[in-house]
Amino acid sequence: MSGATEGLLPEDASYGSLVGTVADPLLRRKAGRLYWGFFAAAGLGTLVMVVSIAWLFIEGIGIWGVNTNVVWGFAIANFVWWLGIGHAGTFISAALLLTRQPWRAAINRFAEVMTLFAGSIAGLFPILHLGRPYRAYWLLPYPNTMDLWPQWRSALVWDCAAISTYLIFSLLFWWIGLIPDLATIRDRAQTRARQMIYGALALGWRGSARHWHLHDVLYRTMAAMALPLVVSVHSVVGMDFAASLMPGWQETIFPPYFVAGALFSGFGMVVVVAAIMRRGLGLEDVVTPRHFDAMAKIVLAGSVALWLAYGTEWFNAWYSGDPLERAHVAHLFTGPYAPAYLLQLFCNLVAPQLLWFPSMRRRIWVVVTVTLVLQLGMWLERILIIVNTLTHGQLPTTWALYVPTIWDWMLLGGTIAFFVLLFLCFARLLPAVAMHDLGKLLHERRTEG
Amino acid sequence: MSAPPLTRRQAALALLASAAALTSCDKPEEEIVPYVEQPDRVVPGVPMRFATTLTLNGYGRGVIATCFEGRPVKLEGNAAHPASLGGTDVFLEAAILSLYDPDRSRAVRQGLRIGALDNLVSALEPRLRGLEARGGEGLRILTGNVTSPTLLRLIGAVKARFPAMRWHAHEALGEENARAGAALAFGRPLSAMPRLDRAAVVVALDADPLGPGPDQPRHARGFAARRQARKAGGEGFSRLYAAEPVLSLTGAKADHRLPARPEEIAAVAAALAARLGLDVPAPELPGPARGFVEMAAADLAAHPGEALVLAGPWLPPDVQALVHAVNARLRAPVDYREPPVETPEPLSALVEDLRFRRADTLVVIGANPAHDSPAALGFAEALGRSQAFTLHLGPYFDETAALCRWHVPETHPLEGWGDARATDGTASVIQPLIRPIYDTRSAIWLLNLLLGDRDTGDRDAVRATWSAGRPAGEFEAWWRRVLHDGVVEASAAPVVTPPEPRLAPPAASTPGFTLLFRPDPSVWDGRYANNAWLQECPKPIIRQVWGNAVQIAPEEARALGLSAGDVSRLRLDGRVVEATVLLQGGMARGVAALTLGYGRRRAGAIGDGLGTDAYALRPADGSWSAAGLVLEATGRTAEILRPSDAHRIEAEEADLFPSLELAEFQRKAAGPPHEEEKLPTFYEPKNGDTYAWAMVIDSTLCIGCNACVIACQSENNVPIVGPEEIARGRDMHWLRIDTYELGPEENPRPGFQPVPCMHCETAPCEPVCPVAASVHDSEGLNVQVYNRCVGTRFCQANCPYKVRHFNYRGYADGQEYANLGAPGIAAQRNPEVTVRARGVMEKCTYCTQRISAARRAAEKEGRAIREGEVTTACQSACPSRAISFGDKRNPASAVAALRDEPQHHELLGHLNTRPRTTYLADVRNPRPEGGT
Repeated sequence: MSGATEGLLPEDASYGSLVGTVADPLLRRKAGRLYWGFFAAAGLGTLVMVVSIAWLFIEGIGIWGVNTNVVWGFAIANFVWWLGIGHAGTFISAALLLTRQPWRAAINRFAEVMTLFAGSIAGLFPILHLGRPYRAYWLLPYPNTMDLWPQWRSALVWDCAAISTYLIFSLLFWWIGLIPDLATIRDRAQTRARQMIYGALALGWRGSARHWHLHDVLYRTMAAMALPLVVSVHSVVGMDFAASLMPGWQETIFPPYFVAGALFSGFGMVVVVAAIMRRGLGLEDVVTPRHFDAMAKIVLAGSVALWLAYGTEWFNAWYSGDPLERAHVAHLFTGPYAPAYLLQLFCNLVAPQLLWFPSMRRRIWVVVTVTLVLQLGMWLERILIIVNTLTHGQLPTTWALYVPTIWDWMLLGGTIAFFVLLFLCFARLLPAVAMHDLGKLLHERRTEG
Repeated sequence: MSAPPLTRRQAALALLASAAALTSCDKPEEEIVPYVEQPDRVVPGVPMRFATTLTLNGYGRGVIATCFEGRPVKLEGNAAHPASLGGTDVFLEAAILSLYDPDRSRAVRQGLRIGALDNLVSALEPRLRGLEARGGEGLRILTGNVTSPTLLRLIGAVKARFPAMRWHAHEALGEENARAGAALAFGRPLSAMPRLDRAAVVVALDADPLGPGPDQPRHARGFAARRQARKAGGEGFSRLYAAEPVLSLTGAKADHRLPARPEEIAAVAAALAARLGLDVPAPELPGPARGFVEMAAADLAAHPGEALVLAGPWLPPDVQALVHAVNARLRAPVDYREPPVETPEPLSALVEDLRFRRADTLVVIGANPAHDSPAALGFAEALGRSQAFTLHLGPYFDETAALCRWHVPETHPLEGWGDARATDGTASVIQPLIRPIYDTRSAIWLLNLLLGDRDTGDRDAVRATWSAGRPAGEFEAWWRRVLHDGVVEASAAPVVTPPEPRLAPPAASTPGFTLLFRPDPSVWDGRYANNAWLQECPKPIIRQVWGNAVQIAPEEARALGLSAGDVSRLRLDGRVVEATVLLQGGMARGVAALTLGYGRRRAGAIGDGLGTDAYALRPADGSWSAAGLVLEATGRTAEILRPSDAHRIEAEEADLFPSLELAEFQRKAAGPPHEEEKLPTFYEPKNGDTYAWAMVIDSTLCIGCNACVIACQSENNVPIVGPEEIARGRDMHWLRIDTYELGPEENPRPGFQPVPCMHCETAPCEPVCPVAASVHDSEGLNVQVYNRCVGTRFCQANCPYKVRHFNYRGYADGQEYANLGAPGIAAQRNPEVTVRARGVMEKCTYCTQRISAARRAAEKEGRAIREGEVTTACQSACPSRAISFGDKRNPASAVAALRDEPQHHELLGHLNTRPRTTYLADVRNPRPEGGT
């Protein structure tokens, strides 16, 4: 196993130094000017989000660019995009744990946090997008005086169920993984308040062998349960489109294609977050180029999967002979949104090919640039799936254009700022890396070595 | 007691009207006393229907108004009235909104300030006495076209009191050319009424009988009578030829169409006349025109007595006269009638008199020449500078009112008494459906005032007109019958045999880049500019809303270096306006067209400042075209608002709007009945043992007039979104008319396809709704439960027809456009239909409230709903009867029969949506021998 853990930890690492690397920024070091600068900027952006949501509730979704024929726009695209980003955390924790990938230890914590934050932001959009958001709870099955259930055939009901399940599960999974570290922080905390708060969150963890045993069993069990959820949540999102009648949506490939795309963008975002955390919290010792290499490979695999998905879409349009599907593909390449589509293809299909080269994978800035580019590509993919179909439906007299308004952009930008703000808070409040997992890694190395 | 006692019906009406006047508008200030004894026949919640008459250009068109508790909410055609025949047009449908228009004038004005009626009367009376002493010298009355027997009687009486008084009439869209043409041909201006229902071949020379106008419903019905493509046969399918410079609705429906410049049309008329053996020199024609004339002449000659040539009102008198001669040769089905005895003088004479101070008292009744007369005539200027005592009576404080010394608000025709004649002379009485909402006066009141009579009420004045010459004992019964029927029996002017027309070969006119003026299909001559329904109704063919634009052919634009959406400068005889360029295939080269009626300055909150004022360019003689136009780019662009564009059908899209020739139809009809294959489905629709509502729309008959669109809006409380929202791509019309371009690009033949909800049996909107707001009812209606809708919009995303409409804003509920949120507007709403809130989806319901009313009536009588008992609003409005609705399970129903026709098809049927709304393909009848 020495090969597997090679390059993941510093040569001279000790348990104490690992804990110190992670916990010190939290407890001992003051936040710098840079941090507060980012915090202020993100706070301002969050204010933009709050204002645009408030205005949305006052004026109604008429403030957006959606129209009679293109009834979905940024809100749904943002939802799918954020949810895709929110995909990688649980996957990293669960799938990589089950497949015993040692490099997950350093990144799984903030990947999970990323999942929670992105998933929560994603969950906002379907509600904001409703004409009557104050009736959103009608999508939930609850006993009511009207004696009405949700309409079970609708993918949206399953969507609502899948997302809420995923979010709740991710939260629990993350918290359970966090308990030993919360206890460590509690033990190292210097103020009474911190001791109390972290102590309460640590649920009385004492680090006994029995605790460790139970924790390990529970965590692995949950990991096994998490994996199907990871697949289901984005499959159902894919179903929102696939279970329809519209050309460009009605495609059986959508569920796996959406899952692959989600992993692709999720891992992409983990790379970005890892690079920032590494620099910001001084985690160079535990988040190493080796990690970026591993994640870049997954991103590359995602890109290949997208090649397959896009190719299948084009091939099937031609092979099926359905004029509507063919017209749809022609519309992708020649319609009013063709430049955006070509950019999407570049971002998702071409740019990641750089990662075939090991030397590129080891250069953090290259990997980060590629993953930022693919975030743009994936967002374009989501908006174009919606807009290209709805602007070019079955009846040519209903062909229309979709032009987003300033409020569409403000809400998108605002949620990105909010995401950053949440992360900035997280970095100062909770251990950004799973210390006990690093410890296990060190233990393994020592016992192996 | 001299006045006859009120009938029970009238008493009920009066009581209702007064109750409505109290309840209809704002929160009443007075305490309302409820009925102590409920008036006979008034059942709260049960609508009452009354016949009355509305006018367009002075000509009466009969309507049936539906009133809820004394509040008129919907107008429909009166089947007994010959100008309606049960159908309507957009202007009739939209009149109800004008009744409740918050911009209606509601106060007497002295100058721009609010004045008192008493002051006006006391100022007027000594002046009238002075005038009487002078024999009326200097007194002028200016009206629109007047057909009302009562008004004519009163004007006659005024003339008797003031013998030197002069009466002027002005209609922006007048019939001067037609009158002059008839006078040229017959020696007197006989009015000609073409009978499309009796014509097997029609050649329309720049004529648009199917287009907007007082007789659109009548002509549409006549046209439809001869375009019935049915297995069972029917009268011979007619063939329609059209030669015209601007693509009109008639040109759109034509089997052969020739885009031709105005002078080419004169040449075509002369060539036709020569080919039919009249003694006129046959002019040289270019190739396409020659072919057109060959075919048309051959067809005309082959159908004596059933062949008809039409000349549009915009053709010069000599061409009109020539066409009369051709029709005489063909023994064409044209009804000629004697002209009115007295013809008023034109506006130009009044302008002269105002300018030279020969007129010192001017009474304007209902006309607005300060906007709708040619600017070159200088009426507004003359009126503004005039020192005369000027008095304006009109429904709005409009451009003319603002220039007059006094303005009196005029009563809406739905609020007062009156009468009118249709184009064929059929008289009908206008009766009030509601007490005047504001303190307004009528034209009858004003003319009576001029006579010094302040006591006679309007109703008495109308009765006085009609009781003359009738035995007193019979009059009451007769009067009640007239009010009930909405038409005076056998009052049409007698058809006369015209004298042999004299031949007048058309004079050659000067070619050059010509600007053509046309009526606007939305605002007519500008009088409907403040009607939001009409402004937001996509104009036929060009689909524009909220404005007008200068139309030119695409090739013309290329030659001029212009493109669609460019703001261009139109220069004509030193007068300049700016208009946005709209490209329209089918336009002749060398012409541009601009509709009249836009550019209003004092229309109200809806109509002000929209579009280009074509009157600013119109020549002083009010002619319909002007040569010497210079069209140049300004370098700016503007957006032409169009909810959806016309779409050119490509070969592979033919099944969206199938079109077939008559021969092919007959072959199919003679063949075995076609079986429509049903695609399999997992969810076989469950049909209870009940009605299966279905609608069939005949594309052959649809003339694209939009009457159904406005009827739906009026019936179903469909809100207006306003131009900004239209620019965002939003609109709320539950029924839209999709326009497909067929035929060659430079001479397209648009096809019209009204698209309401398809009420699919396997509706794609239903399974995707997460809250079951889109559901099916047992009778096959796809219904939308507004208060269950949360607004995910998945239903519309998944609707292949995109017939659903989302309330992105509170269009009817707090975020109305302009002044449409005024409390008075709410009085127009149909109480049977929910007003939708922001954030919910809505769509066509097949007028479920009407089905429900019929079901209630049937169940009360213990029977089933009868065929024809339910008419949807669109069906009822359709002037050509293109829409049928009924129970398709009943084999005797019209829809069941139509669904068996060989040209029956489903829109996007291959998606297996199993729509209940289906179509009959567009059948055209081009000459089998071929041609353009």
